[in-house]
Amino acid sequence: MQSRTSFFNITLFRKNLTRFWPLWGGASFLGSLFPLAILLQLMRGHRWFAEPLEATQAYYNVVVYGLPIISLIYAILCAMLVWSYLYNSRSVGLMHTLPVTRRGVFVTNFLSGMAMMTIPYAVTGALCVLISIACGGFEPVGLLVTVLSVLGESFFYFATATFVAFMVGNVFALPALYFLLHFLAPLLDWLLSMFAGNFIFGLNRWYSGAVEFLSPTVYLEQQVYADCTYEEVRAFTEMTHTESYVSKLTSVTLENAWLIAVYALVGAVLLALAYALYTRRRSESAGDVVAVGWMKPFFRFGLAALAALLGGIALYELFWSSFQDGRYYDVLPMVVCMLVAGAIGYYAASMLLAKSLKVFRGSWKGLVVVAAGCVALCCVLHFDLLGVSRRVPEAGQVEQVEFYAADNTYTLYPGEDAELLEQVRAVHKAIVEDQSYILGYQSDWRHTEQNNVTETYVRFIYTLNNGRKVERRYSIPLTQERLAQADTYDSLLDTLVNSRTMKAKRLHAGDSRYTVDSGNLWLEMRGDGYDLNSRECAALLDAVARDAASGAWGDYNWFDQNNNSAYAMSLELRFARLEQDHWNYDWISINVRPGMDNTIACLKDLGLVTDKDLVIREDMEKTNDWNTSKTETYEEKMAQETASVGIIGGADGPTTVVVAGVTG
Amino acid sequence: MIEVRDVVKKFDGFAALDGASLSVPTGSVYGLVGPNGAGKSTIIRHLTGIYRQDSGTVAIGGESVWENAALKSRIAAIPDDWYYFNQASVRDMMRFYKGFYPNFSMERYEKLKEVFHIDEKKTIRRLSKGMQKQVAFWLALSCMPDYLVLDEPVDGLDPVMRRQVWSLMMGDVSERGTTVLVSSHNLRELEDVCDHVGIMDHGKVLLERSLAQLQDNMVKLQVVFQDGVTEVPAELPVLHASRVGRIHTLIMRMNAEEATAKLSTYNPMLVDAVPLTLEEIFIYELGGADYAVKNIVL
Repeated sequence: MQSRTSFFNITLFRKNLTRFWPLWGGASFLGSLFPLAILLQLMRGHRWFAEPLEATQAYYNVVVYGLPIISLIYAILCAMLVWSYLYNSRSVGLMHTLPVTRRGVFVTNFLSGMAMMTIPYAVTGALCVLISIACGGFEPVGLLVTVLSVLGESFFYFATATFVAFMVGNVFALPALYFLLHFLAPLLDWLLSMFAGNFIFGLNRWYSGAVEFLSPTVYLEQQVYADCTYEEVRAFTEMTHTESYVSKLTSVTLENAWLIAVYALVGAVLLALAYALYTRRRSESAGDVVAVGWMKPFFRFGLAALAALLGGIALYELFWSSFQDGRYYDVLPMVVCMLVAGAIGYYAASMLLAKSLKVFRGSWKGLVVVAAGCVALCCVLHFDLLGVSRRVPEAGQVEQVEFYAADNTYTLYPGEDAELLEQVRAVHKAIVEDQSYILGYQSDWRHTEQNNVTETYVRFIYTLNNGRKVERRYSIPLTQERLAQADTYDSLLDTLVNSRTMKAKRLHAGDSRYTVDSGNLWLEMRGDGYDLNSRECAALLDAVARDAASGAWGDYNWFDQNNNSAYAMSLELRFARLEQDHWNYDWISINVRPGMDNTIACLKDLGLVTDKDLVIREDMEKTNDWNTSKTETYEEKMAQETASVGIIGGADGPTTVVVAGVTG
Repeated sequence: MIEVRDVVKKFDGFAALDGASLSVPTGSVYGLVGPNGAGKSTIIRHLTGIYRQDSGTVAIGGESVWENAALKSRIAAIPDDWYYFNQASVRDMMRFYKGFYPNFSMERYEKLKEVFHIDEKKTIRRLSKGMQKQVAFWLALSCMPDYLVLDEPVDGLDPVMRRQVWSLMMGDVSERGTTVLVSSHNLRELEDVCDHVGIMDHGKVLLERSLAQLQDNMVKLQVVFQDGVTEVPAELPVLHASRVGRIHTLIMRMNAEEATAKLSTYNPMLVDAVPLTLEEIFIYELGGADYAVKNIVL
C-alpha cells in the first residue's frame, strides 16, 4: 500500500534495506566480532568491565578513537548505495516516474541510509552492553552519551555524504569528492604553508592547523577525549594476599563532546542544502562528474589550482631544487612548473566535465586565467607584495610572545616582561632589515667553512590581542665581527639571550605558574640515562640557579652550539604549567660545564654522577677518534685524509653537501 | 487529456524541445512519430515527471505532472530502457510496484501471468530482452493506469507477442478508457492501432491530426498522360513524383477529388487515387523539413 504521508514511503525504505543488506549485515557481523572478542577474554579471566566506570571508559575510547574514522568510511559506502540511482539515467528514470515526490524519495532514502548506518552500531553496542551488564559494569549516563555521540556522528557523516552525493553525477566522483572535501582544509593548509614559506622570508613552512576544524575527522580525533580521574586506594590482592596501593577510576567524562553536537548541526544544514540541490537537480545530469551547473567552474578551476600547487611543487622539487639558489624558491622555474601542472589539472577537469578528450579547442581563455593566477601568486609571494616578511607586530597588539633561541623557549607577556618583549621585537626587526644579507649569506655555501661564522635558529610566535598568531622562523648566520657591532641582530640577540633577566626566565625563577616536575639525565660516557623525579629536579634547579647567580651558568656560546666545552652529559628539566584546564610543558636543557660547582655537587649528592662522568665532550670525542683510528687500515686513513664530506643543513632549509679537502 | 504546450527543454544549450505542443484526447491512442533525435523520448520523460521543462506546460487531466504523486499514481510508463533492480525477480518488482501504485491489481497480475508465461521467481536480469519487455508490460498493465506512456514499447517482442500486447492495451482503451501515448518507429504497426498521430522533428510537433484527417490531407495518384507528355506539368502542386514507364506516381497535399479535378485539365489517359500509408505520410511530410529520402549512390 502507498504510504499515507508524502514524505516517507515504506516500500522504498524496505526495498533499500533488503537490496543493500550485504553492507549493513556485513558491518553488523564485523562489529559483533568486537564484543565476541571481549567475551572470550572475559571467559579467560581478563578484567574488562569490573566497574561501571570502566565500561564507560571503554565506550568513550571507542567514541574517541574509532567512531570518526569508522563513520567517515562507512557513511560514504552507505551513500554510494542509497543515492546510486542518481548516477544512472535508467534508474533515475524509474525512481522519478514512481508516484512519489522528490521530497518523499529524499527523506525515505536518507532514513534508509541512517538505518544502515546505525544498525551495525546498535548490534555491536547492544552486545557490548549485555556483556557489561553481565559483568556488573553498566552505567546509564555513559551509555546515553555514547549513543548520542554515535547518532550525532552517524548523522553528520551521512548528511555530508548526502550533500556531496547531490553535487556529483557519477558514483566514482562521490567518494573522491567526499574524501577531498573532508581533508581539503588540512591539505591546503599544508600546501599553502609550504609554498608561501618557501617564498617569504621567515614565514612558517609547516602545517599550521589553523583550519583543522574544517576537517571534522581530524578535529574530532584531536579534540574529543575521555578525561579520566584516578585515585590511589589500598586494595587487597588475592594472588599475593597482601594490601597495596592501586589506581581506581573515580570519574570519566567525554571532553568536548559538544563538538559532535555542533557537527551534527552542520550536518543538518548540509542536509537542507542537499535537499535544495535535489529539487533543482536535473535528472539528465546522471553520469556527469559534477551535477550542479554553477559548480562546474569551481571544479574546473579548483582542480587546476590544486594541481598547479601540488604538481608545481612536485615538478620543482624533481627538476629544479638542486639548482636552487639559497633557501627560497626561484620564481621563474616555479612559475614554469606551476603552469605545466596547472594546465594538466585544467584540462583533466575539462575532460572530466565534458566526458570527452576533445576539450582543447576554445578552452584557451580558461587556461589563460589559470596561467595568470599562477604568475600572480608567484609574484605576490616572491616580491612579498603584502609585506608579510616585514611584519613585526606592535607591542600594543601583542598578548604574548613565545621566543625560541639558544635551545630554549621563552614565554613573555607585555605587562611583566615589557622590556624583554621590546628587545625581542628589536631582534626581530633587525633580522627583517638584514633580510638581503641573510639570504645572500645562505646562498653562498663557502661561508660555512669559515671558523668565525655559525648559524642559529630563532622563532617568534606572537599571540595577538585578537587571538590570531604571527609566527616567524629564521636560520641566521652569526659572525664574531657583527657580534661586536652594536645594533646588528647578532649583537642584539646575544645581549638578549645572555642578559640576567633572560637567564632567570630560562629557569622560570620566581614564576609560580611553573613547577619543575620531571627531567632526564643522559651520561655519554656510560651510554646510559636516568629519569629524574620532581624532588631531584627541584634540587638540581636550585643548584643551577645558584650557579647562574654566581655567573657560572647561563652564558650561551654561539660558537659552541655542540657544547664541546661542556661535560659529556645532557640534563633536561621539564616545567609544567596549568593553562585553561590544560597542562602545558616546557623543557630546558642545562649544559653542565666546569665551574658549575653547585650543580656538580648536587648531581653527585643525588648519586647520579661520579668523577668518571665529568669528562669534557671535546676530550671524550678526541679519545673516541683516537680509539677508532687505531682500528683503521692504512687505505681507510688515507681516504679520510684526502677528503671529508659534510652535510650542512637546518631544520627549515635545504641540505647542502660539502666536500672539503683536508690538509694533514 | 494529455496537454503539452510550448515546452522548451535545453541540454547544455541544445534545445531538445523547442516549443513542442501536443494534445492527446482522453481514451485515444496517440502515436508520436519522428526521426531519431526529434525529441520524442524527451517529451515522454516530461510526461512521466522525470524531466522538468525550462518553459511551457505539461499537464494531464488539467494538472501539472511535475512532483504530482497523486497524478503519477494513475500513469504507467514503459521507457525504451526499462530499469529493474539488479537482483530482482518479477515477483520482487511486482511487490515494489504494488507498494507505489494504489490501483495495482493482483487479480490482473495473476491473469496476465497466463499471457506472458514467465517464471515470476526468475531474476529479470537473466531473462531475454524480449521477455524483460514483457515483464514491463505485465507490471505496467497490472497498475491499472488511466494513462499509459510508452516509448518504443514493442521493440524486441516477437510478432505474436506484439499482437498480444497491443490487444491487451486496446482492451484497456475500450473497456477502461485508458489514454495511450506511444512513440515508435514502427509506422505500420501504429497505423493499425493509433487514432491520432503527431509528427515531431527538431524538438517541435510539426503536425498532429487524427489518422483519417492525415490520410485525407494527402493523396497518392497514379497517372498516365496523353502521348507526348513525358514530364509532370510544372504548375501542378506535387510533393513528390516518380515514373515507371508511362505511369507517373504523384504525391499531392490535397484530397483525392481535388487532385483528380486538377489533373483532368490535362486529359490524362488514366488517374487512379491510392491511399497513403502512414510511412508514406511520414516520409513526405518530413520531406519538407529536409528529411527526404535521398537518392544516394555510393
